[in-house]
Amino acid sequence: MLAFLGRRVLIAIPTIILISIFVFGMQKLLPGDPVLAMAGEERDPEVLEYLREKYRLNDPIPVQYLNWIGNALRGDLGISLRTNQPVLELIGQKLPVTIQLAVMALIIAMVIGIPAGVLSAYKKGTWIDWVANTVALSGLSVPNFWLGIMMILLVSVQLGWLPASGYRPLSEDPIQSIKTMLMPAFVLGTAIAATLMRHTRSAMLGVLKSDYVRTARAKGLSERVVLVKHALRNALVPIVTVTTLLFGELLAGAVLTEQIFTIPGFGKLVVDAVFNRDYAVVQGIVLCTGVAFIAMNILADAAYRVLNPRMKDQ
Amino acid sequence: MNATPPLLSVQDLSIRMGGTKTNLVDGLSFDVGIGETVCIVGESGCGKSLTALALMGLLRTPPLHLNGGTALFDGEDLFRLPETQRRQIRGGRMAMIFQEPMSSLNPALRIGEQIAESVRRHQGASREAARTRALEMLERVRIPAAEKRLDEFPHQLSGGMRQRAMIAMAMANDPSVLIADEPTTALDVTIQAQILDLMRALQSETGAALILITHDLGVVAEMADKVVVMYAGRVVEAGPAASVFHDPQHPYTIGLMSSMPSLGARSEKLVTIPGVVPSPLAMPEGCRFQSRCPFAEPGCAMRPVFTEIAPDHGVACLRAPLEGTLDPGLRETGT
Ligand SMILES: Nc1ncnc2c1ncn2[C@@H]1O[C@H](COP(=O)(O)OP(=O)(O)O)[C@@H](O)[C@H]1O
Ligand code: SF4
Ligand SMILES: [Mg+2]
Repeated sequence: MLAFLGRRVLIAIPTIILISIFVFGMQKLLPGDPVLAMAGEERDPEVLEYLREKYRLNDPIPVQYLNWIGNALRGDLGISLRTNQPVLELIGQKLPVTIQLAVMALIIAMVIGIPAGVLSAYKKGTWIDWVANTVALSGLSVPNFWLGIMMILLVSVQLGWLPASGYRPLSEDPIQSIKTMLMPAFVLGTAIAATLMRHTRSAMLGVLKSDYVRTARAKGLSERVVLVKHALRNALVPIVTVTTLLFGELLAGAVLTEQIFTIPGFGKLVVDAVFNRDYAVVQGIVLCTGVAFIAMNILADAAYRVLNPRMKDQ
Repeated sequence: MNATPPLLSVQDLSIRMGGTKTNLVDGLSFDVGIGETVCIVGESGCGKSLTALALMGLLRTPPLHLNGGTALFDGEDLFRLPETQRRQIRGGRMAMIFQEPMSSLNPALRIGEQIAESVRRHQGASREAARTRALEMLERVRIPAAEKRLDEFPHQLSGGMRQRAMIAMAMANDPSVLIADEPTTALDVTIQAQILDLMRALQSETGAALILITHDLGVVAEMADKVVVMYAGRVVEAGPAASVFHDPQHPYTIGLMSSMPSLGARSEKLVTIPGVVPSPLAMPEGCRFQSRCPFAEPGCAMRPVFTEIAPDHGVACLRAPLEGTLDPGLRETGT
């Protein structure tokens, strides 16, 4: 397994380089001068020239790229043009918040989506299946922002069960942190849960028809054991794939959800950076997101190998 | 053998597809004695697998359902037992192996665990004891390097080895009946013989009865104490193997036997009786073999009664016994 992971990380390196070139190139092609954005009202050519020199914007583009990537490898992603903080520090502050949101949302999605999918496949064609599918369809059709606002109105304003804002980092005040994150995670999780439920259902429908499920029943095993140990275990392979693909949706959804619930996370950082042409921050964020995606894929591949013993020989 | 009541007595078993008017399996009856080998033989599609699944209580694709009948097993009617009690029997006193060894084992679980979980379930054995039992069973079905196989996955085994593992699994709780649904059909000819030998050896060691389902008369000739010939969901002829083989009475049985190249040698394509099995949607009234029977007459539009024509040997044909009426040429090739 370690050798496998090592190989996968090596294979990922060219991909990361490609992502970094892409990120860097896009920035250069975008219209607008970062120095103008930085200088604000100041239009003195000397000041602008000074800034260009300082941020080495006069170097040839390949040199700029090599500088940037070289620094990045040393953990230096540059300085935010807007706040003058190191980009890595900014990301380090905001990323854990978003990861907390994404992980909580994913847990909620899995806790709801997988059992619902298993049950509706098992009870295919009954009212249980019908209810699960209808709820899933509504979960997919209801926009996140609407659900978020409704939940704030109901759960926070009307019932007063959960705070609508006032996020605290997990490390400082875990209970308050989880409390404030619960509603956003739920809002973000439901859409994912619906997708997860539908994929779980179709994977389970296939597996439940298989000969080995019949064999498991022929052993007199209880339906619970047949479903979980024999069927779900095999259905998990496609479910893991879908979960990996949903990771992108999860991050995109997190950006929006953080806005609704005013959570000071990655999402807010992205939006602020893009609107302020804070290039270094945008580059850093996209690079980090790309690396996170690759890491997710490697983890998913590792999960396949655990779930599907046939892959071990290949 | 007649003095003791049979171990399993199936009476009037019918299986129907919801929304249709014809039984796919129609009034099937047969007995299985202790330690006996009963072969159910018939062309593909005649309802053999449905019968086996019904006996195991595994008929669970909804529109398909049991439409009457009893199955007395050790004095209890299987079809009237609550599901919890059936689960107790299933995989315990009554076990089954299937046609496709490739797909019948769970690809994600180790061989040893697939055997051991059944032992834990039925004998309440500890993990360790169940694993020991699994190893013992793998050795008994003569899987080489059994110890190593315990921790392997199905894809690491050949087809023959997988069927051995299935047999080990089915026999692990010392069943009194083993149902084997075409256990060798998917295997190479040389492996087929080995698997049959193995089943016979295990049977004589354990005293288990065997319901062997096949479309292969060569297998029947080699294994059967008793033969049940099925056609389109019904028993057309049944009796002791010797009696059925030497004196087949139903035109369908005779046709089957005349198309068998020679006893012992197995061939995939056995049935050369002209015509096809009528579809369940267009089943004729009366004898279901009418459309293909060289002896059909108007009276065959009435359902023929299953009649004993020799001790324990019965036939469902209006014209049975066929002595004298048979075309001599057909009779010659028949035996
Ligand atoms: N799940 C099912 N749904 C509908 N019809 C079925 C199903 N299984 C079997 N049948 C029908 O029942 C008949 C008997 O099938 P089967 O018992 O599998 O035959 P055999 O095992 O003798 O080849 C066939 O006509 C087949 O088409
Ligand atoms: S009952 Fe009639 S049709 Fe049926 S097998 Fe006998 S002779 Fe043929
Ligand atoms: Mg069959």
